[in-house]
Amino acid sequence: MKPNSKPSTPPAEDPTRPHVYDGIQEYDKRLPNWWLYTLYITILFWIGYWGYYEWFHAGPSNQERVTQALARIETQRLASAKLDDASLWQMSQNPEFVAAGKAVYDANCAACHLASLRGKGESPTAIGPDLTDTTWLHGGRPTEIYDLITKGVLTKGMPTWGPVLGAKKISEVTAYILSKHKEGEPALRAQTAALIP
Amino acid sequence: MAASKTVLEFNDRVVRQFLLATLVWGIVGMLVGVLVASQLNFWQLNFRSELLTFGRLRPLHTNAVIFAFVGNMMFAGIYYSTQRLVKARLASDFLSALHFWGWQAIIVAAAITLPLGLTRGKEYAELIWPINIAVAFIWVVFGVNFFWTLARRREPSLYVAIWFYIATIITVAMLYIVNHLSLPTSLTHSYPLFGGVQDALVQWWYGHNAVAFFLTTPILGIMYYFIPKAAERPVYSYRLSVIHFWSLVFVYIWAGPHHLLNTSLPEWLQTLGMTFSLMLWAPSWGGMLNGLLTMRGAWHRLRTDPVLKFFAAAVTFYGMATFEGPLLSIKSVNALGHYTDWIIGHVHAGALGWNGFMAAGMIYWLLPRLWNKPLHSEGLANLHFWLGLVGILLYVAAMWTSGITQGLMLNATTENGTVLAYPNFLDTLNSIRPLMLMRVIGGALYLTGFALLGWNVWRTVRGARPVNGTIEVWTDPVVETDPAEPRLGLIATFANPPVFFSILGFAFACAWMFGGSLLSIAGLVGTMLCVALAYAHFESRGRAWAGWYDRLLVNTAPFTILTFLAVVAGGLIQIVPLVLAHRAANVEDWKQVPYTPLELAGRDIYVREGCYTCHSQMIRTLVPDVLRYGDYSRLGESIYDHPYQWGSKRNGPDLARVGGKYPNVWHVRHMEDPRSVSVGSNMPPYPSLLQRATDVAALPSKLAVQRTLGIPYPEWTAAEVTRLVEEQARAITTDLRGAGVEVEADREIVALVAYLQALGRSEPTVVPDLRHTQ
Repeated sequence: MKPNSKPSTPPAEDPTRPHVYDGIQEYDKRLPNWWLYTLYITILFWIGYWGYYEWFHAGPSNQERVTQALARIETQRLASAKLDDASLWQMSQNPEFVAAGKAVYDANCAACHLASLRGKGESPTAIGPDLTDTTWLHGGRPTEIYDLITKGVLTKGMPTWGPVLGAKKISEVTAYILSKHKEGEPALRAQTAALIP
Repeated sequence: MAASKTVLEFNDRVVRQFLLATLVWGIVGMLVGVLVASQLNFWQLNFRSELLTFGRLRPLHTNAVIFAFVGNMMFAGIYYSTQRLVKARLASDFLSALHFWGWQAIIVAAAITLPLGLTRGKEYAELIWPINIAVAFIWVVFGVNFFWTLARRREPSLYVAIWFYIATIITVAMLYIVNHLSLPTSLTHSYPLFGGVQDALVQWWYGHNAVAFFLTTPILGIMYYFIPKAAERPVYSYRLSVIHFWSLVFVYIWAGPHHLLNTSLPEWLQTLGMTFSLMLWAPSWGGMLNGLLTMRGAWHRLRTDPVLKFFAAAVTFYGMATFEGPLLSIKSVNALGHYTDWIIGHVHAGALGWNGFMAAGMIYWLLPRLWNKPLHSEGLANLHFWLGLVGILLYVAAMWTSGITQGLMLNATTENGTVLAYPNFLDTLNSIRPLMLMRVIGGALYLTGFALLGWNVWRTVRGARPVNGTIEVWTDPVVETDPAEPRLGLIATFANPPVFFSILGFAFACAWMFGGSLLSIAGLVGTMLCVALAYAHFESRGRAWAGWYDRLLVNTAPFTILTFLAVVAGGLIQIVPLVLAHRAANVEDWKQVPYTPLELAGRDIYVREGCYTCHSQMIRTLVPDVLRYGDYSRLGESIYDHPYQWGSKRNGPDLARVGGKYPNVWHVRHMEDPRSVSVGSNMPPYPSLLQRATDVAALPSKLAVQRTLGIPYPEWTAAEVTRLVEEQARAITTDLRGAGVEVEADREIVALVAYLQALGRSEPTVVPDLRHTQ
């Protein structure tokens, strides 16, 4: 070492480890607090995150999250779609539509058709007919049901719901009723049903 | 005792060889990098030659940079520093030479086979099985040479650099062997033992830890030797070395699944991958701190000394990359950044900044010492530094911007979030083209800087006489061994407070994570109790801990065993349950239908051409992915895929459900000339697929191996296989003829089309659920 170069030994207040490797010395300084806290916080995060998602399953899984988001998107799309038999059937498979339809139904329709939708099928004293069987007095195609609710059958005591509920709620109620049925199942007119033995 | 001193000459010849090889392969690897980067912007640079397509050259680039450039640099640094740190010449000149020439032969073999399309189809593990065996063998040669040298050391205690070298050697051996397990079908082709999700998990356990234990730990060891040497300053903190070494090697292994976030990988693995990546932040920064703060007191020399400049910048880039890594491992950030150029920017901050600059600093420091001649030009070295730095910054900034731009465009929606804003993938690709060009410029600047290093080395070395380092040692090694530091037996290795508390705490933590309700609670209580007890014990008996660690440092075998236990834990817990679980447990509600023989042949062509370097086959559980590519991928849909082809980068769209999306004729025209059906595409043309015949003769042995791997193929005879292939091929060519395209049935394009049309074909395993389609 040249005489005028800086001394490679550290100042007295910073002791080095006794061992020297090929001329390399080592201090033994304290770990910086911010470094330690970074480590601790990430460890705590692991415990919290694992506990939340994997232990208590409090958060949705990847699949649940994407399924919910896609259902919302489908709801949005259907809401703006043209109403026809196919789109009403699709709505009846959409949980958000069905849930909304149930709320409308329970508030407006359950009085006559009962909360079970079974109407006269459940209780002879009920006013409205059974909506869960395959016999339809006024036609069982989704658009027929939709039109019926909108216009009503005043002679039979079914009010005109169109101005009251509006198109959106009526499509939801239709979806709710359809959710109790299967696409492609027989939708028999009352008068033809009587002919079948 | 009659002891006298003698002069010991180090084996610096092998160091010089590795150093020069580093330069040569570094320039080759970076040159290929600049070429493939240009190909992404100018498809014409694929030269209509199958040997030079992006899909074949990209693996050449990654393998060259990782294994040839950093590999040779690592060996040079390890061999130079180890001999001096343990005061012993490398144990065997023969093994050293075998290591050097064997490694170069492997590199040459890789450089020949990869452009020929001979590949295993797994990233950074593309080399074919005979080369795999050679790599494993040479790695063992390296290990034997290294540990044999340690056994003959005159310096009893192991310096921190040696700890990192030990971790490197054993972990890379473990990772490499497990990820390369395969069953050969011919001399140049094999199928990996693992398939689908298992293969994905093993691959990223390997891939991520190749970064950890090939590109990081050995270079940290090199940092711990060369920075204090060059700065002539003591290492900042020994206890930081201890803490960050053990936490780094333990935590790193667990982080692999962060490459598979939001995919169909079981969610508990994704959670482990994300949380352990975050926990990796501090251990990584421990290394950065020790590197940077060791230069305290030498900062003024940064202005004049190119070596320190390179080291300071390298460690800074290490800190940036290891901050960015945990950031990208957060699921929601990953949803944006994954599959985009952001990841490419991230790895290049590491590869160019950390690895490349550490290599440059080390070479500039070693040159005068290995050839006993001052550096030819310090000015050129400074120019190299600035060119390199500007190059990296351009590169990284371009890739950040490009990745985030494309990620945002791919995820953007309109009409209340129901419709993609940019439904055409090419819109997003073409919006980042200027940035891809900026990346080429950045990379070219970096390469220019490296070429200056080459010139400087050439001018320094030419006419210089190589010298080997020497030290004076006692003829009798025993004299130098400190008798006060006794040997550590196997019992003392484990029966001591640090190891006891670590193993107990680990066991409790596992019980908490994976146990049932009661066991889980007991595990959590136990873990906390264990931490409290360990803390109390350390506070009162800290000296005993330090004393035990001092003893451990003079005992190579116990140190190595403990390191191995630390690195093996994460892999065992993540991989074993997934591999042992019956295949059915990895299925979810949809199960893949096995490929027909023709489709399998097509799949092998897909793998050969490296299609996975640009196309993923994994629709993530993310709304934009599902809107763009269809229902999210289920685990069961790739269980028969050996190797899995989930991919890691989307230079083009995902292909998981491309089957049936386009008519056959679209695919034929697209492969022949991508831009004829897909305007603005940057995909290389593949005219040779229309000329070359499918290798049907290889199918019987491939199918036999697939059967062994558990894929439910019947035992077809060769004639039956040929008949099946011909029938399906004829159906495709008939369809093509109807569309006005004449293709002979035996051409590779027919097999590839058959495969592409089979992508996404699966059958329900349970009552069909509502499938969410566009």
